[in-house]
Amino acid sequence: MEEFEPKIVGFFCNWCSYAAANLAGVSRIKMPANVRIVRVTCSGRVDEKFIFKAFSAGADGVLVCGCHPGDCHYQKGNLGARRRVMGLKPFLEAIGIGGDRLRLEWISASEGGKVADTVKSFTQTIKELGPSPLNGRRNEH
Amino acid sequence: MKGDMYIARAADKDILKIGENGGAVTSLLKFALESKMADAVVAVKAREGNRYDGIPVLITEPEKVIETAGSLHCSSPNIARFLTEYLDGASSSKLAIVVKPCDARAIVELAKRTQINLDNLLLIGLNCTGTLPSAKAKIMMKEIFEVDPADVAGEDIEDNVLTITLKDGSEKKEDLAKLEEQGYGRRENCRRCEINIPVMADIACGKWGTTNKETTFIEICSDKGSQFAQAAIDGGCITIEQPSAASIDDRNKKDKAAIESAKQWQEKDFSRLEKMSSEEKFSYWFTQFHQCIKCYGCRDACPICYCKDCFLEADRGYIPPGEIPPDVMFPMVRIAHVMDSCVNCGQCEDVCTMDIPISLLVFLLSKKVGDIFKYEPGMDVTKLPPLRTTTDKELTLSGVDIDFEP
Repeated sequence: MEEFEPKIVGFFCNWCSYAAANLAGVSRIKMPANVRIVRVTCSGRVDEKFIFKAFSAGADGVLVCGCHPGDCHYQKGNLGARRRVMGLKPFLEAIGIGGDRLRLEWISASEGGKVADTVKSFTQTIKELGPSPLNGRRNEH
Repeated sequence: MKGDMYIARAADKDILKIGENGGAVTSLLKFALESKMADAVVAVKAREGNRYDGIPVLITEPEKVIETAGSLHCSSPNIARFLTEYLDGASSSKLAIVVKPCDARAIVELAKRTQINLDNLLLIGLNCTGTLPSAKAKIMMKEIFEVDPADVAGEDIEDNVLTITLKDGSEKKEDLAKLEEQGYGRRENCRRCEINIPVMADIACGKWGTTNKETTFIEICSDKGSQFAQAAIDGGCITIEQPSAASIDDRNKKDKAAIESAKQWQEKDFSRLEKMSSEEKFSYWFTQFHQCIKCYGCRDACPICYCKDCFLEADRGYIPPGEIPPDVMFPMVRIAHVMDSCVNCGQCEDVCTMDIPISLLVFLLSKKVGDIFKYEPGMDVTKLPPLRTTTDKELTLSGVDIDFEP
């Protein structure tokens, strides 16, 4: 049986994590290729609809990355993202998708290494959890 | 003053005779109109004398207030929705409104969202230990009480016993717990509800703390309520006496017992869900969601859902039109949009044609979200919905998972 390769959707903030992912790339840091990155103007832009859409379209996990609190380009956008993720975790848990499939990380533009570490550990978490019950590929594995 | 308590009864003899528990609430409403402290009164009235069909009515003539005297336990009209849909959120007129705790909480939540002007409202709260679903109540009257539903003139829940009074004055009693075991009794969300005294309203009225059926216990819950009650007392519309310590104690005890019963129901209903494995939860809820016929009933009935341009509409381009059952986005977004502010009114489940236990899920989530953010929906108009707001203090908290202070 082929090893399960999770599909992860990453919402990365334009001002920090996206630049950090770029830095990780140009620094040639190796990391799993499971995360499909979507650049957003701020982690605060990541509406619950984005997260649900990712899951309903077959994502096994959703990773939201933003600036450290206090560093937000728009002052408090990342604080909204934090509340949203904290609130959605029990929801995903309650309907059986699993709260651990959603993760939030703070990654500044200089933390290329943290991007690689986050992607590695989150991919590993999702591999352990297996395919999302919503993605339709569940029975293949 | 806020916190004051009275034992009150109507001064008017007609109201005293017709009104339940001394007719204090009816007198206060009449006084609000007569004194011009309110332009109109919103209360609940039986449609054509049918107790199982209570409808909200707007009254402007003081002599018509008496038509709304007495409580209707077998209907649960959507007062908050009535306010926003038909009365423009009280933006231009002063209204005195009779509310159950869930109605008052929904009004407070809508006021936070600038959909209702709380300054124009006088909330006259009624203690509530639950309402009965009207269709099932009729069956219960026939099957269990063995009476014609049309002969019922009153219902009352006291010390876990449901008492019905017939038109000929006779009474019949049944144990509430036993009824609920058989699938009758109160609505499911009401069983789980622990807010019995509407302290978020301006004044809270109820029979707890009174010994006979001829007086109402009134607690003043705001400065506005205090001014109004004082004017009503000075105007001679109600007569009052101070409650004894025993009477206040009795009220507290009954409230505590009702809260305890609600907690037991929560434990019972929630633990059934919590005990499931992830696979079972997924299969249970998505089987339920799969029954959805996308009638938009839950959205239209929810007092918290107020957007004029709803995300769930097909023309927004997210939920494909003509697809039944709708995409999973439909229930998920619908729930996520209200889960931080659910007031457990149960309107969504009442209207659901497919009997999806949506109120159970949203209430469970609102409890969980409330625990995280230390938030109780509809209790304090100054506390904003936790998923729609942030504070400056959070700028200094660095974690991705932080503790919120009460």
